[in-house]
Amino acid sequence: MKTRSLVTLLVTLLLIVLVGALAVNGLTVGKYIVKPVGSAIKLGLDLRGGIYAVYKGDSSVEDFETLRNATITIMINRLTAQGYTEATVTPQGSDRIRIEIPDVEDPNEILSIVGTPAHLTFEDPDGNVILEGKSIKKASPAYDTENGNAPIIAFELDDEGAKIFGDYTGAHIGEVLSIMLDGKTLTAPKINSAITGGSGIITGFSSIEEAQTTANLILSGALPLDITLIESNVVSPTLGIGALESSLLAGIIGVILIMLFMIAVYRVPGVVADLALCIYILVVFYALALVPGVQLTLPGIAGILLGIGMAVDGNVIIFERFREELKGGRSIESACQRGYKNALSSIIDSNVTTIIAAIVLMYFGTGSVKGFAVTLFIGVLASMISSVFITRFLLRQAAGLGIKNTKLWAR
Amino acid sequence: MEKQFFTKNFRLHLLIPAVIVAVALVLSLCGLGINAGVDFTGGSMLTYKVGEDFDVKDVETALKDAGIADAQIAKTGSGEDTQLEIRAKDLGDASEDRRMALEEKLKAKYANLDFVTLETVGATVGRDLIGNAIKSCLIVFVCLLIYIAIRFDLYSGVAALAALLHDILIMCSMMVFARAFYQANTSFIAALLTIIGYSINNTIIIFDRIRENSRLLTYKGDTHKIIVEASVRQTLSRTINTTITTLITLVVLYILGVDSIREFVFPLIVGMIAGVYSSVMLSGQIWAVWKDRQIFAPLENLFKGRKSSKKAKA
Repeated sequence: MKTRSLVTLLVTLLLIVLVGALAVNGLTVGKYIVKPVGSAIKLGLDLRGGIYAVYKGDSSVEDFETLRNATITIMINRLTAQGYTEATVTPQGSDRIRIEIPDVEDPNEILSIVGTPAHLTFEDPDGNVILEGKSIKKASPAYDTENGNAPIIAFELDDEGAKIFGDYTGAHIGEVLSIMLDGKTLTAPKINSAITGGSGIITGFSSIEEAQTTANLILSGALPLDITLIESNVVSPTLGIGALESSLLAGIIGVILIMLFMIAVYRVPGVVADLALCIYILVVFYALALVPGVQLTLPGIAGILLGIGMAVDGNVIIFERFREELKGGRSIESACQRGYKNALSSIIDSNVTTIIAAIVLMYFGTGSVKGFAVTLFIGVLASMISSVFITRFLLRQAAGLGIKNTKLWAR
Repeated sequence: MEKQFFTKNFRLHLLIPAVIVAVALVLSLCGLGINAGVDFTGGSMLTYKVGEDFDVKDVETALKDAGIADAQIAKTGSGEDTQLEIRAKDLGDASEDRRMALEEKLKAKYANLDFVTLETVGATVGRDLIGNAIKSCLIVFVCLLIYIAIRFDLYSGVAALAALLHDILIMCSMMVFARAFYQANTSFIAALLTIIGYSINNTIIIFDRIRENSRLLTYKGDTHKIIVEASVRQTLSRTINTTITTLITLVVLYILGVDSIREFVFPLIVGMIAGVYSSVMLSGQIWAVWKDRQIFAPLENLFKGRKSSKKAKA
């Protein structure tokens, strides 16, 4: 019995160390790569820097849901075209669109690109629309070699557009054709001859970058919804990293202090609690890395720290009961069992109430409240498993070690 | 320790938080209420790291030159960590040029100036935020009440909610007192919700003991008050040890954390302490007093009546 318990405890310790090392360093076996857990956890914008913005649309228009989804797709295309592949665009509430872009250098530029309507029109002098941006099949920036290398966009129309364009230009030689973007005239050349090939150029850009951006916008299409920016938050990457590093350090110091406290107060059971705490922390970090859609944010870190507090709490409840039974004159093994049994109802009731709160917040909360609720939920669930199963298992093994000195079991 | 330490002066225990809340309320009515951040009021909050001490007058001139009106300037930190916070009605998307102009002017004076954050919130967002938070809280309260009423009794449920309400009020009061240091933003809402989820634990543990002791022969014939006193005492070392372990991480986080973390951790620490107070000093007492007076008897009879009539039908 003694050796078996000792072996079980040592194996548990070894497992914790192994899984912990795996979490920190990752592992590569042949073609299977296990990433370090730290790099697999997605960080929220407040911890890595970036921008989030919320746009509001008019939900009274017909087919709003479809139009909103179309708008979101176009926004994603625009962000991808600009190289922001990690950006997310999601519907929020009944009439909003939320954009999150990590690692942004110039936030306002990217917002103006995403949020611009990009409605391109070819208009006659009376303002009648002849062609729209959606008829353009290809658009790319170029230099106009005949005109002092001015930046331009070379475009190609689709077949239908090419026919309309050819017919119109043929019938209106000598007139002015305006090319407008969102009501602003980009260029207004005079029609010299019929343009039948379906290709042409747009001038009026101050730089090749502007031409590139506009070409991307034209190709991504006009936003089908009128939207207004109602909320934006820009966090510089340095602030994010500072917040993350200080929270991590605080977490490590806090956990070490908790472990020392538990050993000082509860002796052998304290050591058991510390082992359980290690397992709990590993479980939470793996859950954060593996559960899709979970981001670690500042409030999320608080959720985890509270979870640690609750995980310890489960152990404290058991050990206090255990101590009472021990004082009542029971043997260590029987005190273990009775203490555990008596503690169970309070552990379950107290954790279920917190889980209820977390679930409600997950459903009704938005933004950071939601992020907090998810980590709290993971944290409480893991803490319940840790105190209900792991602590009991480890405590039994510890009781099996045959340490008879009650001073080592309680103060 | 005297025989009834936790249950003797119930009125006094109620009076202490009542005074705190009353003072905070008076301050709020005098216009010195919670320092609501841009998350609630709408507008923009612009933060720069200056890296050296700066003269507020320089910033005022720069703001004027850049055409930004109605701005509030605040200085936080010192030495290398000196930060400049500018709060204005609108510094968002549309006024990008003005922000650039401001930055240029400030950089001319303070070369190490560095952009940290810009937060812009529409005026309606704050209202939505508060509305949503209140709605979420109410739903949480109702769910908790139902769960506790089923697992314990209606008195425990209402007493637990009263304790939670106490914690929320104390947190809001302390934010009023600390208005010079901390603004209330989304993180304050998150802190309130955290405490709701956490503080209920302490209360439940005590009610669990009360439930258990009520069934024991040892306490047969004793008043509710005596059972509460015994239950609070038996769970006291658990309450203290648990709170210490949780406070350890929070205090370390407060010491090491950046401003945005402190803004979040401060109300959490306050709430944690208020939560222990309400669980130990108030919740059991409220339960005992109401249980003695049987104030929910009509309601309980209603449920019992229904249950028994169902049984009769079956």
